[in-house]
Amino acid sequence: MLLSLYEEKRANLVRFFAARLNSRAEAEDLVQDLYLRLTAMEPDATVENPSALLHRIGSNLMLDRLRSQKRSGARDHDWREANTIVLAGHEVADEPTADQVVEARQRLRALVEAVDDLPEKTRHAFQLHKLEGLSHAETARRMGISTSTVEKHISAALKALTRRLR
Amino acid sequence: MSRAAQHLQEAADWLTRLQRPEVDETDWLAFDAWLSEPGAQEAYDAIQAVDEEIFQRGSAIRGELSEPRRVAAKRTFSIDWRWLGGLGAAAAAAALAITVAPWGELLPQPDTLYTTAKGESRTLQLADGSRVDLNTDSHISVRLEKDARRVTVHEGQALFDVAHDGARPFLITAGDETVRVVGTRFDVRRRDGQLSVTVLRGLVEVSTDGEDTPIRLRPGQMLEHLEGASGVSVRAVAAEDQVGWRSGRLVYRDQPLGRIVSDMNHYFERPIRLEGENTATLRFSGVLIVDGQDAMLRRLTSLMPISATPTDDAIVLRGRPSASN
Repeated sequence: MLLSLYEEKRANLVRFFAARLNSRAEAEDLVQDLYLRLTAMEPDATVENPSALLHRIGSNLMLDRLRSQKRSGARDHDWREANTIVLAGHEVADEPTADQVVEARQRLRALVEAVDDLPEKTRHAFQLHKLEGLSHAETARRMGISTSTVEKHISAALKALTRRLR
Repeated sequence: MSRAAQHLQEAADWLTRLQRPEVDETDWLAFDAWLSEPGAQEAYDAIQAVDEEIFQRGSAIRGELSEPRRVAAKRTFSIDWRWLGGLGAAAAAAALAITVAPWGELLPQPDTLYTTAKGESRTLQLADGSRVDLNTDSHISVRLEKDARRVTVHEGQALFDVAHDGARPFLITAGDETVRVVGTRFDVRRRDGQLSVTVLRGLVEVSTDGEDTPIRLRPGQMLEHLEGASGVSVRAVAAEDQVGWRSGRLVYRDQPLGRIVSDMNHYFERPIRLEGENTATLRFSGVLIVDGQDAMLRRLTSLMPISATPTDDAIVLRGRPSASN
């Protein structure tokens, strides 16, 4: 029964953990681990709220993941990417094509321009939270506004950026 | 608001809510229920993809946004970049946020001047994906053009990690030398009229004014040159030693005390002076951790036959008598 509910909720669990982990690929991994956990459980265990249980097991797996080295600092993605390109220029065979490099740069420019065009306070909240890595609460303190206002700014920024960039 | 816009807004609200530090099963159950609305999944997936991209490219975006030229864009102040070479440290520090627009409308990108104060270091993420670590008391300007990426080292030391771009060479001018690279990692130092280039990875080409053929440097090689003089020397070095400054370490192998004092004087306001005939030429090998000036001097005087005496405006180093024997 848990397994059939898992099948039904699988995609939404991935969506849920993608927000928490900032990575859909990592969320896919985690939800796969969750499946393995479930298959190891007693098949006829009675569970009061099975959907909540899926969430709980998934959350525990996520905490394990955040604590361990499994998470390789996605923040440094760009830095590593730049390094790879550098290496690729000299030794590695699968050098990105000039097109790919140009495309990546254009995309970065589009992102930066979209952020630049956000209304001032929205941009500031976005910068502090998304780029400087401050929490909603820290961002609120820094800007002297409430946490819920920070969340409104962040949400508005995400909506504006998505409309423009997708 | 259109239906699609409404969904996008709700999706953005949901994603933001899910990124609060405290999220429990109630959030999950409500989120799961919301996703069954038509159009919700597509909207959420679009928002999440953009959020993930921003997270992954955060440092690059941040680097672009924090470029001082954006801050300074409203100023109508411009100076000729060729004069910057002669700026003193104080003047250059004051010029931190000045947009330098050399030849008016002719160039698409203005020069951006980056500077660090004594004891300060900073990392720049350039728009092309290259990264520059700037050591203490250093001044460089950067201009990214369509056909070339140009950097001028006015003074100081910087470690470059250049993003590969075959169509746009990365050109660095330091005094009478030009360093040309395609994609690599190397250190450039310009202090007291002395230039040095040390390569950590890749290939670097250095041309000196008045010399016909450029010199190609490989990893582990350091080129040294006295500004205005003819000729350069190239030798093998432990390249990582040259960039120890990034982690707050100065690594010396058989270097004269004069060089060490010169380095230290770029970190601290209070000058260190050398007195006595041969003091400057005493040799030192070792690693100095850059912390406080007093602590550094204490270690130096215990490792070398010298003594340190504070005066009103400086600290004087002298060779101890035993050193001259």
